[in-house]
Amino acid sequence: MGMRKRKNDILQGTLALLVLKTLELGPMHGWGITLHIQQISNEVLRVEEGSLYPALHRMEQEGWLAAEWGASENNRRAKYYRLTARGRKQLATEEQSWKRLTEAVSCVLSFAGHHA
Amino acid sequence: MALVRKLRRFFRASKMDAEIDEELRFHIEMREKANVEAGMPPAEAPFDARRRFGNTTALRERTRDMDALVLIEAAIQDLRFGIRTLLKNRAFTGVAILTLALGIGANTAIFSLLDSLILRPLPVPHPEQLVRVGAHSPGDSFAGLSVPMYQEIERTQKVFSQMFAWSGDVVLNVEANAAVSRADIWGVGGHFYSELGAVPEVGRLLAPSDVNLKSSVPSQVAVLGDGFWKRHYGGARDVIGKAIKIEGVPFTVIGVTRAGFRGMMADLPPEIIIPITGMPVIHGESDVQQYLNRPSSLWLEAAGRLKPGVTVEQARAQLATLWPAILQTTAPAGRTPLERSNFFSLQLKVESGERGGSFVRARFTKPLYILFVIASIVLLAACLNIASLLLARGASRKHEIGVRVALGASRIRLAQQMLTESLALSLAGTLVGLAFAYWGSRALSAFILHQIFIVPAELNLSPDWRMVGFTVAAAILTSLLFGWAPAWRATREHPAAAMQQGSRAVARTTGILGKGLIIAQVALSLVLLTGAGLFIRSLEKLHAVKPGFQTHGILQLNLVPKPGGYKNLAWVNYYRDLKERVSNLPGIVSASLTHNSPAQSLEWTEQVRISGSDSKGNRTDMAMIMPGTFRTMGIDVLKGRNFNWQDDDRAPRVAIVSRNFAQRWFPNASAIGQQLDIVTEPKWHNLRIVGIVSDASLYDIRKHKQPTVYLPTTQYGDYMGYPELLVQTSGAPATVISELRQTIESLGHEYVASITTIEHEVDRSLMQERLTAMLSAFFGALALLLAAIGLYGLMAYNVTQRSREIGIRMALGAQRASVQRMILNQTLALALLGLAVGLPCAVAASRLIASLLYGVSAFDPPTLIAVSVMLLGVAAIAGFIPAWRAMHLDPATVLRSE
Repeated sequence: MGMRKRKNDILQGTLALLVLKTLELGPMHGWGITLHIQQISNEVLRVEEGSLYPALHRMEQEGWLAAEWGASENNRRAKYYRLTARGRKQLATEEQSWKRLTEAVSCVLSFAGHHA
Repeated sequence: MALVRKLRRFFRASKMDAEIDEELRFHIEMREKANVEAGMPPAEAPFDARRRFGNTTALRERTRDMDALVLIEAAIQDLRFGIRTLLKNRAFTGVAILTLALGIGANTAIFSLLDSLILRPLPVPHPEQLVRVGAHSPGDSFAGLSVPMYQEIERTQKVFSQMFAWSGDVVLNVEANAAVSRADIWGVGGHFYSELGAVPEVGRLLAPSDVNLKSSVPSQVAVLGDGFWKRHYGGARDVIGKAIKIEGVPFTVIGVTRAGFRGMMADLPPEIIIPITGMPVIHGESDVQQYLNRPSSLWLEAAGRLKPGVTVEQARAQLATLWPAILQTTAPAGRTPLERSNFFSLQLKVESGERGGSFVRARFTKPLYILFVIASIVLLAACLNIASLLLARGASRKHEIGVRVALGASRIRLAQQMLTESLALSLAGTLVGLAFAYWGSRALSAFILHQIFIVPAELNLSPDWRMVGFTVAAAILTSLLFGWAPAWRATREHPAAAMQQGSRAVARTTGILGKGLIIAQVALSLVLLTGAGLFIRSLEKLHAVKPGFQTHGILQLNLVPKPGGYKNLAWVNYYRDLKERVSNLPGIVSASLTHNSPAQSLEWTEQVRISGSDSKGNRTDMAMIMPGTFRTMGIDVLKGRNFNWQDDDRAPRVAIVSRNFAQRWFPNASAIGQQLDIVTEPKWHNLRIVGIVSDASLYDIRKHKQPTVYLPTTQYGDYMGYPELLVQTSGAPATVISELRQTIESLGHEYVASITTIEHEVDRSLMQERLTAMLSAFFGALALLLAAIGLYGLMAYNVTQRSREIGIRMALGAQRASVQRMILNQTLALALLGLAVGLPCAVAASRLIASLLYGVSAFDPPTLIAVSVMLLGVAAIAGFIPAWRAMHLDPATVLRSE
């Protein structure tokens, strides 16, 4: 039970980073974000629909995203999200911590490789 | 802004749900299409799409909950951070909590008294349906009914579902469980207990069948109150069936009411309740019906419960239509025309009985409201104090705040955080304050009630929604009052400027706000201290009043009959004998008996006119005394003669008047020999004036010596019992008390119920003024203390902030003394500004309390000067410590630390 919870936290954190980065390219709706992440990661990363929308709303609450209803490609009503100035700042922060995290993990992994 | 968006969402939940549904639907449709394009069978596509979402309802809820979640998370975060900050500055937090506790505690205590005395309904089911009914002569406040009137109303009324009546309270001798004491006896009838929702603790309560108003057999059962039962029987449950004796007459205990039952009184829980039909036998009347049916004695109080849907106005209207007929039916026969016209001028009074009756209410409503205003002002001063201290401390957190703003914290979040911290502080102060309020309200109510009642009385001080609501509102209001300043400051923070060390620009704006708060505080303290000063001077003037009779060294003993002690007593001989014996005891200068001792709160006035004239008479103070009273009380007989023992009920009726009465009524002739009528009492006509005495303020010291007419009790046999024995002693009163008791009891008819001194009674009559003076002085001192703390805090912070500047000055040659003078001057300047603002406010506020002052005008220069000097003195002391510290700054150290 505990393990699963922590896994969700990490995923949620990564999800936020991925969403923010995706929206750097321009406003998108939830479905668009799902597709983009799937395609760009070569189907490795699959966004869980159940966590995407709560995360989007949360980020909107925190003021990182702004939402607007608009017309989609096939003329249906859809909610578009875009990055705010604060969102951009948050993206920079998150990218930095991600880089630091991955560097640290690589250090530990490459070090362990040298051990007998 | 984010906050506004959040609030909007909070209130438009259903619209939000619809929006979220639409958003999810779009996604599901797109997924369906993608699935089909990827080759999934079209029938399965929708199911797969939905399955990826899982439970859509749960999803929708989780999405919506994100809003609330973020709000709650932010709030918890703020709270934890706030508490941590508060704990870091323990001195400040401690002082702040104590200040708030005193302020909120005082307010809550006084509000609970106000609530239980004035606002609160009786603790009975549906108190708003209770309506009191009574008859009164125009001008009288007491409204009652005779038994025939009550019976007629009950029979013909159509607006009440039930009625009940009661008569009280009479303090009589009660022998219970082998102990004799004086207890409060109430007689009740009708559906008293059932309509008041009373439940027996033991046994049963009086039912209408116990009170048959047409019976000629006295009903000798009694129900004990919870207090009496615990005090006399220790709460033993076998008290049912035991016998008690009221004035020597046996009654059987049939039940005990539960704790908390208050009858119809807000301040006096009944001790013993008996049926109305049991009252005649206590008063020695064997003919029950004759006693009950006295037509012009309005001794019952009555109430009814409105039928559902009936309003008080409708009840009033319906009863008004019945009233003339009721007067006709119950009019007494064989009376003089004057008596008959008095009877028919009785008016019916119908009013809400929701709050019950109270002996204390009339006297204490105004002082309590004044105290409440004073306590609120002190709380305001406390809030200003804390606000200025928070500002000063906030300035030292500028750096921290600037960093947070630069890192992206929104100003609104910062303000939210400050407000949360203030709320935490305020809640802590409230909790401690509640402890003060609990203790304070009970102490205050006990003090007030003890002065008025001789039997145990208590107010219902248990918390009700009004008190709880008040405390919560006070907590929130105070946190807003002192929290707004630092929160507002936080939102105006410019990060760049804040990050600079020693930036002086921002300090200046803080300075003005902080100084303004301190000046306001000094002004408030001035207002409160002026009020306190005026009350104290009033009290002094009252104490110094010469009432025209002697106050020192006179004992007053209240005599009451032993059971049966007044049966067949030859009054005049008995009292003459008693007076002789007491006067001859060693240590007694003089002794006498009276029925109207001075300084009693119940004045006796009558309409007096010159005999032979037609006028309605003028209201005049009256007193009934026995021979020797003038001498004991130190009143001089100026002309004519004193009363003597020959003025008994066979001799012609006489009276003695005070000098100002004689001067006013008989300016040209001597009053001696003239005749007076007491208009409303036909037996008291043609009273011949036989003497003139010096003036005295018998009843209310505040009213300057009133014209008074004295009658000899010896001529009015009905009134001879229950006298007060006044004894003038040469030495300490305590030494003669036991001898006095013995002498009185040896005669076998009476014993001493209570002993007091005239001095004490005069003091007691001034209780309102004493209370107001004491408490306003307490609050004034509190406000002064707060102002001192505020001044000290501000100056201390000032010195810290300007330590560099001071160091430079001293390095450039300024004397230490001149630095000290500079700080002190600044402190005094602030105080003087506060005085300038406060003096006009104090003068204006004093006018509001002018009606409560005695012998002091609202604009009283000596008080204002004294209070101003006191404030300046305290300000000087408050500024002294920071000034001393500034004086001893080492320039080298200060300049080095940059």
